[in-house]
Amino acid sequence: MNAAAHPWLALACLLLTVAVYACAKWLYARHRAVWFAPLLFAPVVLVGIVLAAGIPYPVYIADARWLMWMLGPTTLAFAIPIHDQRAVIRRNPVTIAAGVLAGVALGVGSSWLLARAFHLPPELAHSLLPRSVSTPFAMTATDAFGGSRELTALFVVVTGVFGMMTGELVLRLLPLRSRMARGAMLGAASHGAGTAKARELGEEEGVVASLTMTLAGIALVLVAPLLAGWLG
Amino acid sequence: MSRALHRFVPTLFQVCLLAALWLASDALARAIGSPVPGGVLGLAALLSLLLLGWLDAERLRRGAEWLLAEMLLFFIPPVVAVVQFQALFRSEGLRLLAVIGLGTLCVMAGTALVVDRVFRWERRRRLLTATRRHRAVTT
Repeated sequence: MNAAAHPWLALACLLLTVAVYACAKWLYARHRAVWFAPLLFAPVVLVGIVLAAGIPYPVYIADARWLMWMLGPTTLAFAIPIHDQRAVIRRNPVTIAAGVLAGVALGVGSSWLLARAFHLPPELAHSLLPRSVSTPFAMTATDAFGGSRELTALFVVVTGVFGMMTGELVLRLLPLRSRMARGAMLGAASHGAGTAKARELGEEEGVVASLTMTLAGIALVLVAPLLAGWLG
Repeated sequence: MSRALHRFVPTLFQVCLLAALWLASDALARAIGSPVPGGVLGLAALLSLLLLGWLDAERLRRGAEWLLAEMLLFFIPPVVAVVQFQALFRSEGLRLLAVIGLGTLCVMAGTALVVDRVFRWERRRRLLTATRRHRAVTT
């Protein structure tokens, strides 16, 4: 069964993806339960449907890849929040830079060390390296690491869900005095999901999380070719 | 209805504009063999225009905010590729979850502690320079 032979099925998959996403957003707006968070609910439901219907991935992605294509323009859209928050960077340049550097180094370093410790095959290990930054950046960086875009997208989602579920607990355990640290922690470790959580804590936390997430993504894309050479 | 349309049209136009800018920066990056990918090149160009004041952020705000708000929709499709990797996850799934879980805890704890320290140092330094400047002015 190939995609060209099933143009209507491929189109239906694109529409289904949008419908499941819209449904997840609607559900989460009504019931703020973790299981309804679109980041968790939408992929799980969609994978369930695709598996149950026995649709092969090439057919599914034939038209749905146009959604994925939108990640390109989304990369540029990050210019607006960075510009809005330039005063925060100007006031605390060293703190923001420290958060970005620590986040990138620990994100890539911990994935690399743990993947080795757990003897994961290279394809998985390479796809894990960029998992802690936002998807548009992670999917660009994974090309440099020689990982798979699909696996990286999955690991980014799992990281986000994990960060969303454990963030508050970690905040309660760590003796943090500044709002900056709470925001940077959430943005660096679990990108968009962490930033959403940080916005719930307060405005400053949200801004710092968003900045740390975006700048860490850019920094990772820039250093990925160098890191790939070292880590092999 | 017309109010919704008034919001929808500029958003759509700005999203198309961002898409066109992305196509251009991606094509440029390919053409010059840039080591920096097109997306980040375009982001840097756009940010420079905004910071120089040559472009008003309001001209792209709606489109950019829409793209960022709906970003999840754009990366669900590659996640569905898990259906292709079922055998892999059956053998490596638990170890993968352990790597992601432990790794994320490392990033959280490490980043938070580093930023907490550096922030206190930076604030102290800022206060010190402010006091010195104040003294220089008053004496």
